[in-house]
Amino acid sequence: MRLSNIFYNGVIKENPIFVQLIGMCATLAITTSALNGLSMGLSVIGVLVCSNFVISLLRNVIPDKVRIPAFVVVIATFVTMVDMFLKAFAPAIYSALGLFIPLIVVNCIIFARAETFASKNGVIESVVDGLGMGIGYTIALVILGSIREILGAGSIFGIPLFGEGFQPALILIMPPGAFILLGTLIGIFNLIRKKNENKKDVKHKEESYNI
Amino acid sequence: MKETLKLGISLFLITAISAIVLAISNNITSAKIAEADKLANDTARQEALPQGETFKSIENNKLKEITEKNPEILEIFEGRKEDGSLAGYTFKVSVSGYGGKIEMITGISSEGKITGIKILNHEETPGLGANSTKPEFQNRFKDKPTDKELVVVKTQPTSDNEVQGITSATVTSKAVVKGANTAIDTFNSKFAE
Repeated sequence: MRLSNIFYNGVIKENPIFVQLIGMCATLAITTSALNGLSMGLSVIGVLVCSNFVISLLRNVIPDKVRIPAFVVVIATFVTMVDMFLKAFAPAIYSALGLFIPLIVVNCIIFARAETFASKNGVIESVVDGLGMGIGYTIALVILGSIREILGAGSIFGIPLFGEGFQPALILIMPPGAFILLGTLIGIFNLIRKKNENKKDVKHKEESYNI
Repeated sequence: MKETLKLGISLFLITAISAIVLAISNNITSAKIAEADKLANDTARQEALPQGETFKSIENNKLKEITEKNPEILEIFEGRKEDGSLAGYTFKVSVSGYGGKIEMITGISSEGKITGIKILNHEETPGLGANSTKPEFQNRFKDKPTDKELVVVKTQPTSDNEVQGITSATVTSKAVVKGANTAIDTFNSKFAE
């Protein structure tokens, strides 16, 4: 598999939020602001890349029958390390992320990639997959968080956008708003994807006729 | 049987290595974490009681006596001014907010006025309850008297013991005020002259 394909797969074609719809609980809870979304996304990239790396490295060593507990231990270990090192060496970032870090352990995306990809592919491919999925996840989270913050709180990354008189649509900060927005974005994303795929199909057909 | 043994040993090895890695990580980070924690706490205490230069925990037995009856009280520190005289006390309490526990420090001067509050940890909603950490809200507690309990109001306060809550974050506002009231009660019963 070409590395660029793997990367593109993670960001667009099988985007964990907009296409695969996994890791939803954390997504909806965290994206109440753009900064929260970004911070969570970056942490997930870190854990995802490391866990994919280790699991791919050990894929021929871990017996198939106990792979699930083995994956969970590896993932939980990395998350705990991230938690400890952030708390010790970057306390400002730690207090910003705080409660989100333990949530990463239960993020299905990391487990899904371990099971679907890292346990069956080479190390470099797995790292690229982790990067692709992680970046795709982060982009989705930042988009979601930004829209919710702009319309629900009138700011972006903490910077207020509108004047004093702005009445934010508070529903967007709360769960129902999150669901509505997410559904809408998934629809739009898939619409764009379908259009692009149709264009590519037409292009391929044209090229094959011209040969 | 042999296969079960093999599976067991593989799992054991993985968890053993994980435990070693975590123990090493803990070793590397624990001192730094304790340092960072202490610094954050000292800074928070000073923000809650600005006239206090040095802070020391109250005597252990007295603290135990108080926390046994009020388990939401976590720490009580005595703040002294530069000349050694008593500035006041800081009370760290844990209250139930909207999304989880809120850990906060309330500073009360020896004259019986609230000198400030500082919210340390919380799980409140960003854009709503999380705004309780902003100065706009925390400043509303400054100079409040401690003769009566504080009460949350939705509009401008009309009397000294009223604090204006955050719009659409009533649960959070009430929780923070409850934390301050716990400090007030404890101050009045155990520390006021």
